[in-house]
Amino acid sequence: MNYEYLRRLAMTRRQLFSRTSTGIGAMALGSLLNAGQKTPAGLDGLPHFAPKAKRVIYLHQSGGPSQLDLFDYKPQLKKFQATELPDSVRRGQRITGMTSGQSSLPVASSIFKFNQYGKSGTWVSELMPHTAKIVDDIAIVKTMNTDAINHDPAITFIQSGSQQPGRPSLGAWVSYGLGSENQNMPAFVVLLSQSNTPNNDQPLFSRLWGGGFLPSTHQGVKFRSSGDPVLYLTDPAGIDRGTRRHMLDAISKLDKMRSDAYGDPEIETRISQYEMAYRMQSSVPELMEMSKEPESTFQLYGEDSRKPGTYAANCLLARRLAERDVRFIQLYHRGWDQHAELPSHLAMQCRGTDQASAALVTDLKQRGLLDDTLIVWGGEFGRTVYCQGKLTDTNYGRDHHPRCFTMWFAGGGMKGGAVMGETDDHSYNIVADPVHVHDMQATILHCLGIDHKRLTYKFQGRHFRLTDVHGELVKQILA
Amino acid sequence: MNISIFVCSLILLAVSVRAAAPVDFNREIRPLLSDNCFSCHGPDEKQRMAKLRLDTKEGAFSVIAPGDSGHSKLLQRLTAEKKAMRMPPAATGLTLNDKQVDAVRRWIDQGAKWETHWSYAPVKRPELPKVKNPAWVKNAIDNFVLARLEKEGLNPSRETDRPTLLRRVSFDLTGLPPTPAEVAEFVADRSPAAYEKRVDKLLNSPRYGERMAMPWLDQARYADTHGYHIDSHRDMWPWRDWVVKAFNDNMPFDRFTVEQIAGDLLPGPTRSQLVATGFNRNHMINFEGGAIDEEYQTEYVIDRLETTSNVWMGMTIGCARCHDHKYDPIRQKDFYSFFAFFNTIPEKGLDGRKGNAEPMLPLPDDAQKRHLDELKREIAARSLPEELLAIEQINWEKKQLAKMPLPQRTGLAAHYELDGNLADTSGGYHHAKQMGDEPTYPVGMVGKAVEFNGKSQVSFPGAGDFDGNTSFGLAMWMKLTGGRDKDQMNFLKKTDAKLARRGYEVEFDNSVTLPGLKRGSHMVIRLINQWPDNAIEIRTKDHVVYANWYQMTLNYDGSGKASGLQLFLNGKLQEADILRDSLSGTIRNNGALEVGNLKALRPFKGQLDDVRIYNAALDPRQIHVLAVDEPVRSTLASSTKRSRDQKERMRDYYMTYGAAPEFRATYKELQSLREQRDRVEKYVPTVMVMEDMTGKRRGNFILARGDYRNKTEKVSAEVPSMLPPMPKDAPRNRLGLARWLVDPEHPLTARVAVNRYWQNYFGTGIVKTSEDFGSQGDAPSHPEMLDWLASEFVRSGWDVRALQRLIVTSAAYRQSSRVTPELHERDPENRLLARMSRFRLPAEMVRDNALAVSGLLNSKIGGPSVFPYQPPGIWEDIAFGAEFSAQSYTPDQGDNLYRRSMYTFWKRTMPPPSLNTFDAPDREKCTVRRLMTNTPLQALVLMNDPTYVEAARVLAERTLKEGGKDDAHRIAYAFERATARKPSAREVAVLRDVLRQQPATEKVIRIGDSVPDAKLNPAELAAWTTVASVILNLDETITKE
Repeated sequence: MNYEYLRRLAMTRRQLFSRTSTGIGAMALGSLLNAGQKTPAGLDGLPHFAPKAKRVIYLHQSGGPSQLDLFDYKPQLKKFQATELPDSVRRGQRITGMTSGQSSLPVASSIFKFNQYGKSGTWVSELMPHTAKIVDDIAIVKTMNTDAINHDPAITFIQSGSQQPGRPSLGAWVSYGLGSENQNMPAFVVLLSQSNTPNNDQPLFSRLWGGGFLPSTHQGVKFRSSGDPVLYLTDPAGIDRGTRRHMLDAISKLDKMRSDAYGDPEIETRISQYEMAYRMQSSVPELMEMSKEPESTFQLYGEDSRKPGTYAANCLLARRLAERDVRFIQLYHRGWDQHAELPSHLAMQCRGTDQASAALVTDLKQRGLLDDTLIVWGGEFGRTVYCQGKLTDTNYGRDHHPRCFTMWFAGGGMKGGAVMGETDDHSYNIVADPVHVHDMQATILHCLGIDHKRLTYKFQGRHFRLTDVHGELVKQILA
Repeated sequence: MNISIFVCSLILLAVSVRAAAPVDFNREIRPLLSDNCFSCHGPDEKQRMAKLRLDTKEGAFSVIAPGDSGHSKLLQRLTAEKKAMRMPPAATGLTLNDKQVDAVRRWIDQGAKWETHWSYAPVKRPELPKVKNPAWVKNAIDNFVLARLEKEGLNPSRETDRPTLLRRVSFDLTGLPPTPAEVAEFVADRSPAAYEKRVDKLLNSPRYGERMAMPWLDQARYADTHGYHIDSHRDMWPWRDWVVKAFNDNMPFDRFTVEQIAGDLLPGPTRSQLVATGFNRNHMINFEGGAIDEEYQTEYVIDRLETTSNVWMGMTIGCARCHDHKYDPIRQKDFYSFFAFFNTIPEKGLDGRKGNAEPMLPLPDDAQKRHLDELKREIAARSLPEELLAIEQINWEKKQLAKMPLPQRTGLAAHYELDGNLADTSGGYHHAKQMGDEPTYPVGMVGKAVEFNGKSQVSFPGAGDFDGNTSFGLAMWMKLTGGRDKDQMNFLKKTDAKLARRGYEVEFDNSVTLPGLKRGSHMVIRLINQWPDNAIEIRTKDHVVYANWYQMTLNYDGSGKASGLQLFLNGKLQEADILRDSLSGTIRNNGALEVGNLKALRPFKGQLDDVRIYNAALDPRQIHVLAVDEPVRSTLASSTKRSRDQKERMRDYYMTYGAAPEFRATYKELQSLREQRDRVEKYVPTVMVMEDMTGKRRGNFILARGDYRNKTEKVSAEVPSMLPPMPKDAPRNRLGLARWLVDPEHPLTARVAVNRYWQNYFGTGIVKTSEDFGSQGDAPSHPEMLDWLASEFVRSGWDVRALQRLIVTSAAYRQSSRVTPELHERDPENRLLARMSRFRLPAEMVRDNALAVSGLLNSKIGGPSVFPYQPPGIWEDIAFGAEFSAQSYTPDQGDNLYRRSMYTFWKRTMPPPSLNTFDAPDREKCTVRRLMTNTPLQALVLMNDPTYVEAARVLAERTLKEGGKDDAHRIAYAFERATARKPSAREVAVLRDVLRQQPATEKVIRIGDSVPDAKLNPAELAAWTTVASVILNLDETITKE
């Protein structure tokens, strides 16, 4: 089936080239623009090989979920509770300005219970009862690691491969490489949801889904839960669909006259963009309209999924976007930055997300979409074993920790039930099988049939890559 | 035309056209070697394979036999049959096609002439080439353009019609369209210099400076926020206004350069020269909690050096941050030697929390300056013995707790300390209850406080059950935090909607931006029998500022009159407007007093502490106890570490009430003076500037892998070794550097500058990669013309305006932009200039055009940035929260909605969406070339953004009033305003159909802040709004033809 898709893609691309004498019209089109009656254009020669996944749903948990309290089970830590973090573990590595001045770095073991689940016998914390039920469908990597130690650089790094702003985001690279498969939807859609805790959320930045130096057509398009679902999507008061149609017909006729006079192919492109805009005006509201979903859907995703803008509702939307062949669906859920009050706040975050994340995997599986959809779950870094602030029997906080954290992957190309990597007894440094952020990025691209070393864009004289000059495939989790 | 993605290169063009011609090394061979070979066989010593380098003549000739490609190892390896032998290796993903290999072969056979990379060679003013058709030539540019066309066997296009020409040059020189009257005047002017006259008029318009500033703001990464994490506001608009003025004054480019890079180092710098140095403070600044100072201070320096080298030299020096440059002869050591020039600023790595970061320059006007000087003198004349007072304060504190007055218990009906629970500690047992999310208890004003996250609600059943004829007092500490701003925010209520709101309630109205970009709301208090006719309503005159703690006391005397309702904040009676004063009958209901009503449109987000409910109004002395004494008493009673706020309060309390009388008097005077000073300073703008450290300088080192932690070899300030050296006696500081850049012998500065100007007009530079003049960049399409223009620029004394005039008065510029299919196929990117380029207007001009043709445009120049329409919630979706500025967006009202787009407030992490949709960058980094796209989201903006719907309606109003009597005239009027030309009969017919078929209904004319003319028939106006909207959506309207 993938090959059929490839064949189709190649054929339409050829047709496109034959339509415009120079091929320029085709190449000028980004993911969004290949509207018209034409199909998507990615880059020539992509995918590089048969893809396992046609699309990605990336569930970014912004703030840095605590691996110690969710997936990286360390029962022996109880013994060290409240003792000073040994230098032999920390090895002089840098810590953030929030705890570097703290007089003591006492070990805080997790107060949450862990159990083994599934055929794989994977350890999962009691905070994630729903994720626990799908462990055989997901591949868990406990040895993710990153270069950055604070939110801004870390989230920029995991989304764009560079700590400093300016590079295209993962979704933009995919849009640039593979183009779109839906004539009525952008290739790269972004959904935001807010924290479940009373704390201020760490901010997000449009660069995280930005196009960097790629043409702006590849940047993610935010679908919003209040106001216009896509900015400026709705016709103004007083203009109904019939009027809009007449207006578009007039614009198109007048543009066509100009095109005949000037011979500039950009005018034809603009005419087709207006048509796609018109189609989006019905396809996007239709997508966002969830009232026709059966009761069972809301039960699966949880009560929150009835409320637009929640993480659960966004997970459900992600499934609907996947059904419509949107190439890259990026969710951000805020509020995972538990410097203090971790036991209560982490529980709130999990209550707000666990069921829906698991439901998304289950739902896609039921619909036969999991095979060619890659789901990614994780934050930008992990959290420290030592306590930030005051440690008590029932309360603690954890600072940012870049040296190990947990992510999971499901679907297209991933090995369900796999658990990879080993951290030391303090979940501080990695003992075996490290997976660097660039490795993960290379692996995501691999599942999409892209050789990360060959997806490049020349800017300022350099052939830039998502993975810079790094990135090794994480073969252990590939099916 | 899309300027970015076309891959058709000049190499192919040249090869296919002239197979036998001599191969040009710089244009055809070096780029190919650079792109395919240099990363392993180039300047980077560490990466060099087989000890072979191909970027120098010596290196390359070890594998090249000039004149004999057959014996050249280079060609053997490029064409090797065996995959393992063939270069470049398969693993690189790079390959040379047959034409490229053929070019290398021919170049070697022709003798392998090696040349320095063109852009590093000195500029030589070339002779003007001879042309066959000198009649076409208007100035030197045309000699170069025509000579090339004649060589290619192409003819230039005819001169475009006058309306198109005037519209083109008006956009190019002012960013705005001509008025129909200006078009008519130009068309009618038969004098030989008619065009030149128009050009001079445009060049002398104050709009010229704004237009020239627009691309400079991109290059200088100018923005109104800090970027990075919290992304709160900064004030760099005085620098932006400096740029506009510099262009309008036609400041020579060398001075423009020196003042921006090193204005502070000039002898006796003027205020203007100091403001100019803001250029290198426009970089992002971070203050994320926990971030590491040195990491970011290093990034700022790197941003300065990368921006400066790219803006003035088209160099991609950033590639040498981690290792020697792979393509250009820039060593890592060059990078850090250049770094040293910019690492001299007394700056912090983490700063900007409250706006501008040090060093900054206050810009008071004369009156402000006089006032501030006087206040400073007054403050300096008073002093307090700080050490003595500190000791005295400790002694005083030891004895003071017992002396502190206690809050009144008489009439206390309920008291909620909220120190971790919701209990009533008055003895009344009216314990409060939580609804919604479990509340949390952070540190508050008196012990802990209860936090409301917008999803929590606390109800106080049985408490506060008062009627309109009874006196009562409500006292509490409260703080507002986040939330969306367009609606009022419910705070406290004891009302019942079923009884049509019988009861009382307190709200905050929609929030607004206060000076310093803080948010604030008025407080609104209501006593209601039936809303709205039977009620009392008052609203405070001042704003409550978000994120500040307030002690609030609400007193009511039971009179049933608005005058009987008094609000105290921090012990001070608030002035309030009486909005309603018509209460009669009861306000009693059976419900509970609630804070944080979840059903409200905008539930309360904030904190609440120490709530006291009294059965009678409190007297001012008691209010003072609650607002001033009680937090101090609570701090004195507590043994936990004091917060900064608690320390300050304690000190203030001691100095006000506890210290010896003479010190108290001085303190009181000082406080009053400081308050006056702060009040004045709040309205004095500042701008961030460059300044050199006076004491010990930072050391400069090569940073291994570009990481601030890996300092290796020590370096000092020096320019890159591949460029001409600085004069021996020149200071190794920014001033020396700036003067070196504008030395007439510098090979890059003038070339780079003229190429960027060229790009504004033709869409593509003479060097397409205007950001990269290195070996990976494109070769110039007209190298001699580039050099001639560069030398002319220097010769003219760097006269910027003269250069613009030269370009726009050339015949090349005046050509028609129509293109035949044959010419389009031959030269899709218009590199040969056989026509004028046709491309979409930049984002700012798309919007400015709509404002201008409708007549909405507000032509004010400069000043603080403005907030035009923006859909609600876009900032709030991603922002941190109310304790910082620029976290929520409230559009302006009135004139500021119609300012030119370059004055739009630019938030880096969420740039203005409708401009961003038209490819305006986020300004996080220097952008020297915008990519141009054509997307459905652009169509949505033009169709539906209120900016454009309102502009269409205002254009329609004008059309109905000024466009003539019949439809055809009116259509022609509106069309001409937008396109500068009269429509054809066919075009008129299409637009007339829009009127007839199904025009918009009246609702459409209410969109926007401006009010439609009541004298016009609304249905007719709606119909014409439809027509005007179609016109504003035309490709032609948003395109420079």
